[in-house]
Amino acid sequence: MTGRARVVITGVGVVNAGIVGDSAALGAFLAAPRPAPGIAEGEIARVAASALSALIDPGDARRLSRVCQLSIAAAQLAVRESRLEPARGLGLVVGTEFGDLASTHVFADGFLERGPSGLSPLLFPNTVMNTMAATTAIAVGARELALTLNAPTVAGELAVARAVAAVATGQASAVLAGGVDEIGPVVEQQLPALGFADRFGEGAAFVVLESRAAAEARGATILGEVAAAAWRALPARPWGVGRQRRSRAITAVLEEAGVEAAHLGAVYVSASGDAARDAWEHAVLSAALGPQAPPAAALARLLGRHAGLGVLRVAAAAWTARSGLLPAAAEPVTAVTRVSSRAGLVHGLARGGAHVALVVRAA
Amino acid sequence: MRRVVVTGLGAVSPHGIGVKAFWSGLAAGACAIRPLTVIESEGFRCRIAGEVPETVAGSARRTRADRFAIAATGEALEDAGLGVAERADAALVVGAVGGGMLEAEAWYWAATRGRRSVSLPAVRSVLPCAHADVLAARWGLRGPRHTVVTACSSGAVAVAEAAALIADGVVDVAVAGGVDAITRICFMGFNALKLLDPAPCRPFDRARRGMSIGEGAGFVVLEEAARARARGVRAYAELAGYGMTTDAYHITAPEPEGDGMVRAIRDALGQARETPPAVQYVNAHGTGTPQNDRVEARALERVFGEGAVLLSSTKSMIGHTMAAAGSLEAIATVLALTHGVVPPTANLETPDPEVRFDCVPRAPREALLDCAISNSFGFGGQNVTLLFRRR
Repeated sequence: MTGRARVVITGVGVVNAGIVGDSAALGAFLAAPRPAPGIAEGEIARVAASALSALIDPGDARRLSRVCQLSIAAAQLAVRESRLEPARGLGLVVGTEFGDLASTHVFADGFLERGPSGLSPLLFPNTVMNTMAATTAIAVGARELALTLNAPTVAGELAVARAVAAVATGQASAVLAGGVDEIGPVVEQQLPALGFADRFGEGAAFVVLESRAAAEARGATILGEVAAAAWRALPARPWGVGRQRRSRAITAVLEEAGVEAAHLGAVYVSASGDAARDAWEHAVLSAALGPQAPPAAALARLLGRHAGLGVLRVAAAAWTARSGLLPAAAEPVTAVTRVSSRAGLVHGLARGGAHVALVVRAA
Repeated sequence: MRRVVVTGLGAVSPHGIGVKAFWSGLAAGACAIRPLTVIESEGFRCRIAGEVPETVAGSARRTRADRFAIAATGEALEDAGLGVAERADAALVVGAVGGGMLEAEAWYWAATRGRRSVSLPAVRSVLPCAHADVLAARWGLRGPRHTVVTACSSGAVAVAEAAALIADGVVDVAVAGGVDAITRICFMGFNALKLLDPAPCRPFDRARRGMSIGEGAGFVVLEEAARARARGVRAYAELAGYGMTTDAYHITAPEPEGDGMVRAIRDALGQARETPPAVQYVNAHGTGTPQNDRVEARALERVFGEGAVLLSSTKSMIGHTMAAAGSLEAIATVLALTHGVVPPTANLETPDPEVRFDCVPRAPREALLDCAISNSFGFGGQNVTLLFRRR
């Protein structure tokens, strides 16, 4: 892997139950973290309708499903902050766990209630999980590769990792990487029966990634550097939690970034309230980082698990590298601690074994 | 950049289980689009599809699509001669759309009508990424794993993604492909869009009236060329280039001039360091819808010139197998290079004068091929071209 470009973050867009805005809004939240409304009571952390409608063109609001609106709103915020000209050369990678299942249920209900005449041709494209990427590509003018990656828990981190590879290898000069999820009524109803014990949220987050050389050449503000990204798998049954602790993803990113585990200032973890999975992640991190493991932050307890959160963690790690501040992992959830190093790890591990690691540092 | 070769093939298609059945059907020009039996079709204008005709072995707890994927990946791994140890570091990239939707629909239909005939755990497999978890656990694949959803081009994108992991030096071996079973949502949706032909589809025919849906799985084993040579394994073909672009134009309609398609084809040519005259055969996306076929032909004419390549659509024989389409067509393209036979466009009686290519109507054509491309395009303007060279 020679001749890889260094990859930097030049824009951030976040729309979720606790944060709406760009990197400044994210920083303000992380400096004074607070749980999104309802999440402490076990409710889904939802985006207020008024917050979303303020960001979306009225035509799009009428035409597009809610999850597509979330995606477009966050993507446009990120592109705006980056001051990147929407033109050829922009790629898009979107991670999602549930896609637009809400529209799928409405589409199916049309048939179940009225037979073939109840089917909406306008809703059908939303039943395909790339609908958010397709509508977002149109909204921001992304004409290079546009991928939708589906994964439990780690879809957002995975989208960033894949986008980093695209920029680093020159596949696209800039890539908008994001994650988005909406929890529709049927999914919400079935979560406990399906065995989900996590705290869930919804929303979207995007980062604009480009080569450091390109960003500097156009005078962009660099918010952080993704020094390395890797995704691998740990052995586990489908939906299961594994036993293996040795992480090739973490080893790969530390080596590529030239950072020793002892020199990491912070870890943003994917822990989300699923006790067995969270324990597995803790064991993997302990094995990889040793007894001197850096302090960890788990944002799912504030904002709820959703694919956007994985991307937000990458942007948050860049903020921590810049500010030297980290939202605390332990109680109280509103505490903030100081960290010494300007490099941090973003880590995600899913049931089934999908596994992502990224090293983020100050520019 | 490291070179990537194809060393294993696996297929489950409307022609049956296995690559041999798939190729025999294609090379004979046989149409496997028949009355639909997997799901109820009463009340719909179109009632046919390309169904997998045999029962695919496997646990009843697995979804139909998972069973297809396990069979196709198993065949590809065996074909490549990859043992347990060699598989451990292999990447796995799966293109998927419907996931376990067929079984989830059965649950939802029953639940809506007050019955619970399907166990809820089966619904866990509804997400497209479930296939990758099942395959990784079944075959011990522990390298990079991801699931791509780019609608009808998902299978081809998966192959391109795997090639990128090898070319970039992340892994030496990858298993990649796409899978989909016929689902009610898909069948009803394309019916609602009035994109299905009540008769077997006729790509590039002047009287074409739409597509036929299908199902199946196509998986390949890709390897770094030097490693495959060192193992002494046969390489079917080199995956010399690929292009992935987006129209950013419309959620269902292709950009009318085919700009995104043209860029994908040219990117594939550029990566392979080939010029248009090198390409002799195009396995078209060729769905049989009036608009898609016309725009694809226009894009091909812009790149290659009128009549400069042989063009055929294997969807005319197996239907549009959704996420499996791109990878099954990649396999068909590789086998066309290997056997020197271009599979025909079945059901093509009256060529559309706007499609100014030899579309190989009805009967296969012998042709010594060195270089061929496979096009795949999906909802949302997701364009992929794979370029293969004979070894």
